[in-house]
Amino acid sequence: MSSIILPGRRRGARDKLSRLHWPLIILLSMIAGAGVITLYSVAEGNWQPWAIKHGLRYLAALGILAGVAMVPIRYWMALAYPTYFAALFALALVPFIGEVNMGARRWIEFGGLQFQPSEAMKIGLVLGLARYYHSLRAEQVSHILYLIPPALMVGAPVGLIFIQPDLGTALLLAATGAIMIFVAGLSWRIGFLGMLAGVAGGYAAYRFDFLKEYQLKRITTFLDPERDPLGQGYHLLQSKTGIGSGGLTGKGFMEGTQAQLKFLPEMQTDFIFTVFGEEFGFVGAIGLLLVYLAVIFVGLSIAMQSKLHFARMMSVGVVATFTLYVLINTGMVMGLAPVVGVPLPLVSYGGTVMLTIMAGFGLVMSAHVHRDQDMYRSGDSL
Amino acid sequence: MAGVNAHDPERQETVSRRTVLFGGGVSLLFGGIAARLYQLQISDHQKYLDLAQENQFNRRVLTPLRGEIVDRFGGPLASNRKNFRVLLVPEQARDVDAILDKIDKITPVSEDKRARIMREIRRRGAFTPVQIADNLPWEDFSKLNFELPHLSGVLPDVGETRDYPYGADAAFVIGYVGAVTERDLASQESDEERLLLRQPGFKVGREGLERTYEDELRGEAGAMNVKINAHGRVIEEMTDSAVPPVQGRTLTLTIDSELQAHTMKVLAEPTPGVDQDVQSAAAVVMDVVTGDILVLASTPAFNPNDFNVGIDPDLWKDLNASPYKPLLNKPLSGVYPPGSTFKVISAIAAQRAGVKPSHSVHCPGRVWYGNRYFHCWKRGGHGRMNMKDSLKHSCDVFYYDIAKTLEIDLLADTARKFGLGQTYELGIPGQQRGVVPDRDWKRDYFAGNPAQQPWFQGETLSCIIGQGYVTSTPLQLAVMSARVATGKAVRPRLVRAVGDLILPAPEAPLIDVDQDYLAVVRAGMNAVTNEYGTAARSRLDDPDWQMAGKTGTSQVYAITAEDRARGLAKPEDLPWARRDHALFVSYMPFENPRYACSVVVEHGIGGARAAGPKARDIMKAVAEKDPASRTPLDPRSLARASGVREG
Repeated sequence: MSSIILPGRRRGARDKLSRLHWPLIILLSMIAGAGVITLYSVAEGNWQPWAIKHGLRYLAALGILAGVAMVPIRYWMALAYPTYFAALFALALVPFIGEVNMGARRWIEFGGLQFQPSEAMKIGLVLGLARYYHSLRAEQVSHILYLIPPALMVGAPVGLIFIQPDLGTALLLAATGAIMIFVAGLSWRIGFLGMLAGVAGGYAAYRFDFLKEYQLKRITTFLDPERDPLGQGYHLLQSKTGIGSGGLTGKGFMEGTQAQLKFLPEMQTDFIFTVFGEEFGFVGAIGLLLVYLAVIFVGLSIAMQSKLHFARMMSVGVVATFTLYVLINTGMVMGLAPVVGVPLPLVSYGGTVMLTIMAGFGLVMSAHVHRDQDMYRSGDSL
Repeated sequence: MAGVNAHDPERQETVSRRTVLFGGGVSLLFGGIAARLYQLQISDHQKYLDLAQENQFNRRVLTPLRGEIVDRFGGPLASNRKNFRVLLVPEQARDVDAILDKIDKITPVSEDKRARIMREIRRRGAFTPVQIADNLPWEDFSKLNFELPHLSGVLPDVGETRDYPYGADAAFVIGYVGAVTERDLASQESDEERLLLRQPGFKVGREGLERTYEDELRGEAGAMNVKINAHGRVIEEMTDSAVPPVQGRTLTLTIDSELQAHTMKVLAEPTPGVDQDVQSAAAVVMDVVTGDILVLASTPAFNPNDFNVGIDPDLWKDLNASPYKPLLNKPLSGVYPPGSTFKVISAIAAQRAGVKPSHSVHCPGRVWYGNRYFHCWKRGGHGRMNMKDSLKHSCDVFYYDIAKTLEIDLLADTARKFGLGQTYELGIPGQQRGVVPDRDWKRDYFAGNPAQQPWFQGETLSCIIGQGYVTSTPLQLAVMSARVATGKAVRPRLVRAVGDLILPAPEAPLIDVDQDYLAVVRAGMNAVTNEYGTAARSRLDDPDWQMAGKTGTSQVYAITAEDRARGLAKPEDLPWARRDHALFVSYMPFENPRYACSVVVEHGIGGARAAGPKARDIMKAVAEKDPASRTPLDPRSLARASGVREG
């Protein structure tokens, strides 16, 4: 049926629903389901306080995903820059009106709701960069002059988030931006130089006390966890113990001693993969990773099937963010990455991140639903 | 069109290529994550499993109940009672000072105590619970439990602590327990014992039987694995695999706690007509057949329950500073010149030297020997005295006369045969031997002063009336009475059974002196109380329980002519510490002796006046109860508790 529908033709909602990428929804639901059962276990076999809320939030977020997917992709393209700049504006406001929480200024109050501009920026940056590259020609992409706007688009929010301070999110955004710029067609030479600059910058930050003490400590602990077994290293060691003691098939649902006896920190959020790995073992953890990988591949294939350049770039950006979450979180709880407070998407408890992720996949889904549409560089419909 | 239309195959191709490249990179990184999972969960699985086990289980020492100490009838002298206490795990408390401030509002935490807690935390590390308060009243304990959510790291705990139901009355028999010191830890043979001693609030015997029988009383520690969570809170007790602790063994003593308490009361009574409230006195009551010590009393006494809970420094200072020495176990460690009570020895020694009981001496009140007069206690003299009368009236001149020719070594040998100058195996440390002087002793004693090394016969005149170098303990005087009463070398004992093992009564062979020599001594002692002798006032009226006795008044300070000139005539005029000691030895019934008793009242002025009446009151109660005729506790009936101690 789809083949006879002309590009750009409005479709009925019913028709669009049938065009949703249902395997992707099933994969996402599997991940969220893993979250629900793990949260149930973390609460010692209770739906409260996390599991039930997590499930309900997922269902709500699924609704949002579908809603976002229904909206024609051109609207999202039209909203790309406004979204980016609105998020940037909100971020810029944080130092002045933000709420201080745990030593960092990250939240602002907005109509009685707490709102984290850095979270909105994850979507905003993806949209903004996608919109930018949509407007470039192939030969422009690899030209260094055309690298300046995206560098600024990435650098401004990253800088603002870094000073909040929120090293994890700043690095995540920077990496997302870098991946998108790379995928867009950055020349290898510039890419290589950029990486060198990044390493030098990182070293400078380390050398000249740009990092807060706790951030430095996280990095030094990551490099040598046994140095501080009861402080920062304690959590990591307990986490590795949890995963390692799970073995091939795990200790069984609700049988994870590290989790049930509260040896793990932040079990319902950052360290939830440890609980999963402890209770379901190597088999379970690999299974979960495969589902994540499947989501990533589905997302990338949607990107590649989209006619619209904006949709391609946007999908890659969303998938990149998602991938970075998964890699940083799992790497972090296993001692492969510093403990920077990045949740495991759709499994960790937390509404904001779930909303960001699902809204992002809503955009990907929109790209899928409207994959046959194309538009001019200017953003005008064909 | 190319500039306007989005269709840009080259751009699309680049993105597709790069997307595939990105997907490949992601796959590689996921492979890395998977490899790490493999390393943790498969390769190093055992290592982490061990770590998790270590986390999960804690080996907890189960403290055994301390063995009880009971009297001859099974009545408790030292037992265990519930101790409501509060422990603190410093690691979980984070701010120990703040927690102590909160606790201070419920039960006071003094600065001293705070300092001690901090010291202990530093010494024992952040993970060992430290006791911050114990023996809390129930109200405070429940208040603390109520506040618990605001007191992180605080563990309420119900332990067991030592309880001494007779308090000060049996203090010197039992001793007391105290907190474990570094020295205690160092002297333990095994790590297990050290671990047990490190349990919060654990106590070890510090004095008396508690100390001597520490190994028997302590019991054996048990152990149990407990599942703990990250906060150290116990989630589950692995009772199936637990090794229960074994309570320490019960010590069954020869003491009769009723008589003990009664004696303490009698000793504390002031002597009528003497201006002295506190009685510093000692008494021992013995079964002359078995050697069982029924009473071992010393006043004033400390309360062992004060030591048990950690003695207050001020109280400790007071106890040490008191002139009445409440920390001195006077029956065993107090040494006193026996005074005239020694004459029972002298009379036997005289007969061994050939003096007949019928030998008589005229007492004019004093006798000249060497270069000075030796006075009789009775200024006007006793007139003619035979041996029995010399005991009845306690005539000194009779003995001075004998002493002129008596060999000191014979006197000393007799004294030793009848129990003086030696210690006895009672299980209470710190016993004194006293002095039974002879030629060898003097040579050793004056090792640095050759002029004083030879024995001078004049010294025998002092020794024969229990003065001079002669000293003895109340226990030795009780043994002496028992031996005179029976003619056997009775040996005292205090512990009848350890656990269910009954200790055999010590052998009491006949003393190898002519048993006939004892008859006149016994007759003389009988006359002291029953024939209007020096202690006629201390006579027991019950014909079945006729008590024989001997008074003694040993000089502490000689009243000088100067004192007299200042108007000091009577001993009461002297300050307490210069007054004479009052002594009394006795046994009963006269005909078929069963009990012996010695009483010493420090600075009591006169044996007949201060010590005799106390001995009478004590022996009257002994006669009424007649503990030797009652069936003592069968220690085999004792069941040892192996109950798991809470906490």
